[in-house]
Amino acid sequence: MGRENFHRILDETQQNVLRMGSLVEEAIAKAVDALTRSDVALAEEILKADDYIDDLNVLIETNCLNLLALQQPMASDLRTIAAMLDIIIDLERIGDHACDIAQITKNLANEPLLRPPVDLPLMAAKAREMLREALDAFAHHDAEMAHKVPEKDDEVDRLYRRVFSELIQFMAKDPKAIGRASNLILVALYLERIADHSTNICERVVYMVEGVPKKLKRSVVEFNEFIAHSDEILSPHTEPAT
Amino acid sequence: MNRVWPAVAAAALVVVAGLAASPRGALHLGIVAACALAVAALVWTVTGGVERPGGRDPQAAAAVPRSGAPPAPDVLQTAVSPAAADAGSGRAGGNTRGANGAALGLAGIVDALPVGVIALGAGGRIDVFNAAAGDIFGVSPERARGRALIEIVRNSELDRRVAATIREGARDTAAITHLTSGAERHLVVTTLPHPALGPGGVLIIVSDTTRVRELEAVRREFVSNVSHELRTPLTAVKLMVETLQSGVDKAAREQFLSSIAQETERMIALVEDLLDLARLESGKLELRLGRVDVGEVCRQAVRAQEARAQAGEVRLACELPAEGLEVTADRDKLSQVLTNLLDNALRHTPPGGNVTVRTYADGDTAVIEVADTGSGIPSTALAHIFERFYVVDPARARGRSGTGLGLAIVKHIVEAHRGSVSAESELGAGSRFICRLPRDLQIPAHGL
Repeated sequence: MGRENFHRILDETQQNVLRMGSLVEEAIAKAVDALTRSDVALAEEILKADDYIDDLNVLIETNCLNLLALQQPMASDLRTIAAMLDIIIDLERIGDHACDIAQITKNLANEPLLRPPVDLPLMAAKAREMLREALDAFAHHDAEMAHKVPEKDDEVDRLYRRVFSELIQFMAKDPKAIGRASNLILVALYLERIADHSTNICERVVYMVEGVPKKLKRSVVEFNEFIAHSDEILSPHTEPAT
Repeated sequence: MNRVWPAVAAAALVVVAGLAASPRGALHLGIVAACALAVAALVWTVTGGVERPGGRDPQAAAAVPRSGAPPAPDVLQTAVSPAAADAGSGRAGGNTRGANGAALGLAGIVDALPVGVIALGAGGRIDVFNAAAGDIFGVSPERARGRALIEIVRNSELDRRVAATIREGARDTAAITHLTSGAERHLVVTTLPHPALGPGGVLIIVSDTTRVRELEAVRREFVSNVSHELRTPLTAVKLMVETLQSGVDKAAREQFLSSIAQETERMIALVEDLLDLARLESGKLELRLGRVDVGEVCRQAVRAQEARAQAGEVRLACELPAEGLEVTADRDKLSQVLTNLLDNALRHTPPGGNVTVRTYADGDTAVIEVADTGSGIPSTALAHIFERFYVVDPARARGRSGTGLGLAIVKHIVEAHRGSVSAESELGAGSRFICRLPRDLQIPAHGL
C-alpha cells in the first residue's frame, strides 16, 4: 500500500465516521419524533437502520486496524486513527440508545397515551446539538469547537433533573401510570448519556488535533442520586435534588 | 476554455426546466429566470468569450482550501477567488472580458442562483458550492470547496442518493429532509451524473421548499377556517328554512326570519371582510389620500358605536387633543380601522366596563389608542391576534364572535399607511391597541 493509497483510505475512513455520525444523528431525531407521535412504524424503521450503523462500525474498525498494522502511521495520522477507533464506539452506543428509545415507543404503543414532559424534546434537541457540533469539530479538525461543546452538558443535566422530578411526581399522583412514566425516565436517561458520549467524542477530537489527551469538563448525573432524593422531589415546595 | 462552468450552467438549466414543468411550476419560475441568465452567459462564453489561458491565477491558487485535495481543475481557482466572485456578480459581461472573464462571469452567475448548486469533481471533492447551497446547509462556501460532501453536509439520504447516482449513472430527484440547528428543512434534491466534472462527477441541485410547505399549511388552514365560518351560519339558516317549510306559527316565523336575516348579515360581513383583506393583500387597494382630522374620524366612529355600547352597558369615551391632529390618510380606511378596533373592544368588555379612544401626537407620528377594561389577552396569544381567524379563546368567543378578520384588516390598513399597530394587555384588566401613523405620509397615489 503506497503512501497515496494510505491517505485515500484514511480519508475514506474519516468520511465513513461522518457517514455513521449522520445516521446516528438522524436515528435520534427520528426516535424522539416517533416517541412523541407514538409512531410505531417509524420506531421499527429506526431499529432496522441500526444494522447499517453496525456494519459501518465494523468496516471503519477493520480499515483502522489495517492502516495501523500495514502502515505504522505516526503523529497526527496515528492520532486520527486512534481517535476514530474511540469515536465509533461512542457513535455505536448513541445509535443503541436511539434503538432503546424506539423500543420504548413500541412498548408504549398499546398503553394509554401519556404525553411526555415538555422538557423531554428540549433535552433531545440539546443532546442532538451537542452531537452535531462534536461531529462538526471532528469533520473540520476544530479543537476550539470541541472544547466548547461539553459546556452544553450542564443544560442537558438541568433538563434531565426537571424531567425526572416531573415524572416522579406524576407517578405519585397516578400509580397506574408508573409503567409508562418509568419508561419515559429511561428515555431521559438515554438522552443524558447521548450528551455524555458527545463529550467523549469532543475529547477525542482535542486529542487528535492537539496531541494531548484531555478530560473535558462535564457534570455527571448519577441515576442513583435521584433515587436517593425521591422523597425530596415528592415533598411539596422542595426543589428537586441537584 | 474552462469546461466546468458551462457544463454546470447547462446541466442546471436542464434540471430547472424539469422542475418548472412540475406541478409546482410557479415556485420555480424564479429559478428558470435565473438559469436563463446562466445560459445567456453560457452562449456568450461559447460564441464570443475569450479563451482562458492555462496558467493558474496565483491569488486563487493560494486560496485552495486543503492541501489534501486532489489537483483541482481550473474551476477551483475561480470558485475560491474573491476577485472572481466580485467580477462575476457585479460585472458579468463587458468588464469581465479579460483573460479569464468568461469563466468568472459564469462563476458569479452560478453563485447568484437562488437554488443550491453543488458540483462534485474528481474523488468526490466539492468543486462548486454556491451561496444558496451555503445558506441551505449553513456552511460557508469557502469552507466547503475541496472537501468531501459528507464532511460538509451530513445527510445520509443525500449521501445515499449521490452514491447511487455515481453507481448507476442515473439522474434522480427526491424530496428529503435535512436537520439543521433549528427546525428541519424540506429540500427537493436532484442529483445527476456529470462526467465533464471528472470521473465520478456529480451535479447536485437543491431547492429549499420549507417556506413553500409552511405557506401551504397556512393556505390549508385559511380555507378550512373560511369554510367553517361560512358553514356555521349556513347550517343555521338551512335548519330554520326547513322548520319554516314544515309550518310554524306566526310568532315563531317572525323569530326565525329575524334570525335568518341576522345570520345572512354575518355571512355578508364575513365575505366583505374577506374581499377587503384580499384587496389589501394583493396591493390592489388604492388609498385616496387627503388631510384627515384624526379626532373627527374618532368622534364619528364612536358616535356610530354608541347605541351598541349603551345596550352592552359599556361607557364609551373619547380623549382628543384640543388643538386637533391631522394626518395624510384615506379617511374611509382610517374610519374602518377605528370601527374594527371599537368593535373588537366592545365585544370583549363586560357590562360596567369602559372603552376609551385616545389620540395624541408623538413627534412626526399620530397615535391612536383604543383601550378597554375587558378580559385581556394572554401574553402567548398577543403575538397572534393580528393573524387572520386567530381567536384567543374559542370557547369564550362563541356567541359574540366577529369574523376573525377585523384585526388583520386593521394591521393591513395601518401598514399600507406606513404605520404600525401593536397591542398590550393584562389578563383580567384589559387591553390597549396602539396605532402609530406618520403625520405626513408621502407615497405615490398608486404605489402600495
